[in-house]
Amino acid sequence: MTADLDTRRARLRSDATLAARVVPTHYPLETFIAVNPLAGLESMPFEQAIRRAADLYGSRGTLGEAAFRALHAAGRITDDDLDQALRRRYPNLVAGPDLSLGGVTLSPVELLRADLLFGTGTPEAGRRFRTRAEDRAPAVAAAVDAQTAKWCAAYFGDAAWPMPGREHGFFPAWRALAPSDRSVRREVRRDLRRVPERADDAILEALSRLGVGDDARIGYLQAHLTRMPGWAAHVLWCSGRNAGVDIVDYLAMRLTYEVALLAHDRAPVASHSVDGSVTMPSARQRAAHVAAVGGLTEVGEDEIAAAARVLTALPVTAREMLWQNAFEAHYRDGLLSALDSADRPAAAEPAHTQLVSCIDTRSEGLRRHLESLGGYQTLGFAGFFAVAIRFTGLLGGAPSDLCPVLISPNHDVSENPAPGDRDAAERRLSGIARMAGAESAFHAAKESLAAPFTLAEAAGWAAAPLAAAKTLAPALSGTVRRQLRDALAPAVPTVIDLQSMPDDEQVLFGQVALTTMGLTRGFGKLVVLCAHGSSTENNPYQASLDCGACGGQAGAPNARTATAILNRPEVRAGLREAGIEIPDDTWFVAAQHDTATDRVALLDLHLVPGSHRPDIERLDRDLARAGASLAAERCAVLPGAARPRSPRRAARHVQTRSLDWAQVYPEWGLAGNAAFIVAPREVTRGIDLQRRVFLHSYDADVDTDGTALETILTAPLVVAQWINCQYYFSAVSPQVFGAGTKTIHNVVGTAGVIAGHAGDLQLGLPWQSVHDGRALLHEPMRLLAVVQAPLTRIEDIVDRNPILQRLFGNGWVALAARDDPDAPWQRWTRAGWRHWSESSSTTTVHDEEMVS
Amino acid sequence: MTAPVLTRMTKVEVVVAGSEAPAVRELIRSVGATGFTSLSGVSGLGHHGYHQGRLLFNQQATLELIITVVPEPKAEALLAGLRPLLDASSGVMFVTETFVSRPDYFI
Repeated sequence: MTADLDTRRARLRSDATLAARVVPTHYPLETFIAVNPLAGLESMPFEQAIRRAADLYGSRGTLGEAAFRALHAAGRITDDDLDQALRRRYPNLVAGPDLSLGGVTLSPVELLRADLLFGTGTPEAGRRFRTRAEDRAPAVAAAVDAQTAKWCAAYFGDAAWPMPGREHGFFPAWRALAPSDRSVRREVRRDLRRVPERADDAILEALSRLGVGDDARIGYLQAHLTRMPGWAAHVLWCSGRNAGVDIVDYLAMRLTYEVALLAHDRAPVASHSVDGSVTMPSARQRAAHVAAVGGLTEVGEDEIAAAARVLTALPVTAREMLWQNAFEAHYRDGLLSALDSADRPAAAEPAHTQLVSCIDTRSEGLRRHLESLGGYQTLGFAGFFAVAIRFTGLLGGAPSDLCPVLISPNHDVSENPAPGDRDAAERRLSGIARMAGAESAFHAAKESLAAPFTLAEAAGWAAAPLAAAKTLAPALSGTVRRQLRDALAPAVPTVIDLQSMPDDEQVLFGQVALTTMGLTRGFGKLVVLCAHGSSTENNPYQASLDCGACGGQAGAPNARTATAILNRPEVRAGLREAGIEIPDDTWFVAAQHDTATDRVALLDLHLVPGSHRPDIERLDRDLARAGASLAAERCAVLPGAARPRSPRRAARHVQTRSLDWAQVYPEWGLAGNAAFIVAPREVTRGIDLQRRVFLHSYDADVDTDGTALETILTAPLVVAQWINCQYYFSAVSPQVFGAGTKTIHNVVGTAGVIAGHAGDLQLGLPWQSVHDGRALLHEPMRLLAVVQAPLTRIEDIVDRNPILQRLFGNGWVALAARDDPDAPWQRWTRAGWRHWSESSSTTTVHDEEMVS
Repeated sequence: MTAPVLTRMTKVEVVVAGSEAPAVRELIRSVGATGFTSLSGVSGLGHHGYHQGRLLFNQQATLELIITVVPEPKAEALLAGLRPLLDASSGVMFVTETFVSRPDYFI
């Protein structure tokens, strides 16, 4: 081994790392959380990033022109929206003189708008980073993909027969098995026997044989990584997690197959063609087309030339982005206008109960309906309630990291039986163990070689009617199963063990949490910390409906931990010294909102003092009423839900729906998400935000040094942007960044799902998360952040956080802000604050095309 | 008293965004370095302006300082791998000569 070889290997590893930056992040099913699939391109302006993604993946970056034009026809995008978008992008151009076309006078804006509405020639997206096999022999490229899918499924799957040699890691196991694989020809197998022992050496050898030089290496590796982004993403997730595989191993396998299969391919060399390389119309042709569409026949050459000069500024390839801007502006202008005109309650009566819920868009509906009952104040905060914990439940097993993936848990917290309930806890544990054992035996029998025949004889009489009941009467079947579970393993009161958290850290937690959410005075008799989770059946994407702030899991343990801390007299004493006076008769209660059924369960009721029982009963009643009203509201957009429904019937319907194992639309999750508001609730209270807005409470007056705002903008906002982008790209480019239809999903271990029996691991969200069967339910728009805080404070925070400069400066998130409720909304730009409706002062030339 | 015998090594210090740190650590491991030290949440002023230190709920957006010590033959490979990584991000690298008293820890 020479130093030179070591150097080449190290450089290769770096190149592979850099190449993999374009691969989407993807979390396994158990902890699936929404992320921006183009996170690796966030250092670029959004428009440039989606073009790069199109070159890499052949993906779309916005809806197509046909879809935008349909939205225009439906009134969702108006002429005024288009004109405003044009003025904002081309302020100098649109101020130019009017044009004459066939005797008709029209302004530059009208001409450009006509081109947007009727222009043709938008190219289809197509991959431009291509492998040698794609160019020379598409069948070989397909064969490389098929082998990749096969070996990845074998390695990552949870089959009854594990991949031989799996314990040695992916590359060694594959290297040992591949030469015996009869699905490839003998001469290919012979080549596979000569693969170097190290994955990096295998890549170096393959690239040399393919004639890929060092300068072209990153691009070439990207061409391979983007062929099957799902598997590449999962391998990337495994890197550094002791899973026996990394991106170098994965690339080594693919490149080795490419070389071996190309070397022995007997098919004639395919002619090279680049998808999407259609000829676009020139500006003159576009001008002539606009005239023709308008029925203008007597159009002079000089008129066409003048019109073409205007159209040159808006290349065909930039039209869809302009539509996107208009689409977003319509919603954003409407939202800011609604916030301006909201009736602000003068001096609301003191609330008897405060409810703090997750910033999740689904909480907005619950908060709105609960507030309408009077006496309630609601607040929004990240659903892990600032306690980043590694939680072990009463049943034991592997602990769960319940915190945003941006951080690591800093405390181990466990659930123990309540004092005096140890015997009951033992009964529950043994009951659960019996049920788990029976289930495990049933599934093991199903998956073994011969046992299914015996199983059918032994258990078929019960399994078949059970399956029929789950299909035909999901509510009844669910009730029976729950009763059976309760009989075998009765629920038992438990407590959260806080021993791992020193008192001073608990006080600090309380101070940070209460200050960040803006709740430092005016405490009610009850303060509810309301987590959320979702109950659905037969749903591999269950985690995508749970709490993103809790790492894709239900947040009840966090709420219970936070309330346990805040109810401790020692913690309250510490908070008092820090200036936060919590009255003695204030009690913190944990709760969990089931977003599929809109039922809210109050937790740890055995700990509530007798003095607060009547308040708890009122709260329980009011939450049931608010939940039923919310269910009725949601039923209006749930496919298959009859409408109009009374709240009571709606509540029953969503309950049944959540138990139906054939239901592909159990709930809509965060579909529709479009904005993130950081402000006191007074700014939004009374406005129906249609469950589209993340609401983070923030009181600028209690955060004089800006620490709380910085925390909100660098963590919850970042997570909200991930969610927003996941929904966005799952909607605009479902073939690449979406998971396809749920109806043909097959689960591969815990890695993810594939469509059908083979192929790439599916990324992103299922089609049923964004589309209702007839049309997109999710409107793909980038996130608008709305902040009410001193502008200088916001500016300082952005200045010292590169992540915010990237998000706001590159157009991944728009930022609107105002100092106080009476100030006008301002738009953050790299050049400083601008009035929200003002055009930018400089023209950005994104592309030019020739007038010819 | 006899002065301890010291062995010359190469110390490499890298400052990168927390999100880039796993790639740097992986590279350090891949060239055969026997260990490293990581310090997260470092702040400072540099080519790209001021970088905030510790953020309350985001460990990926802050900077991380990674320090490793390797014998000279491994240093060349490590630097060759680090250079393209740093060219593509806003990180910095410092390379200095250092001395260790127990060289077997680093080989």
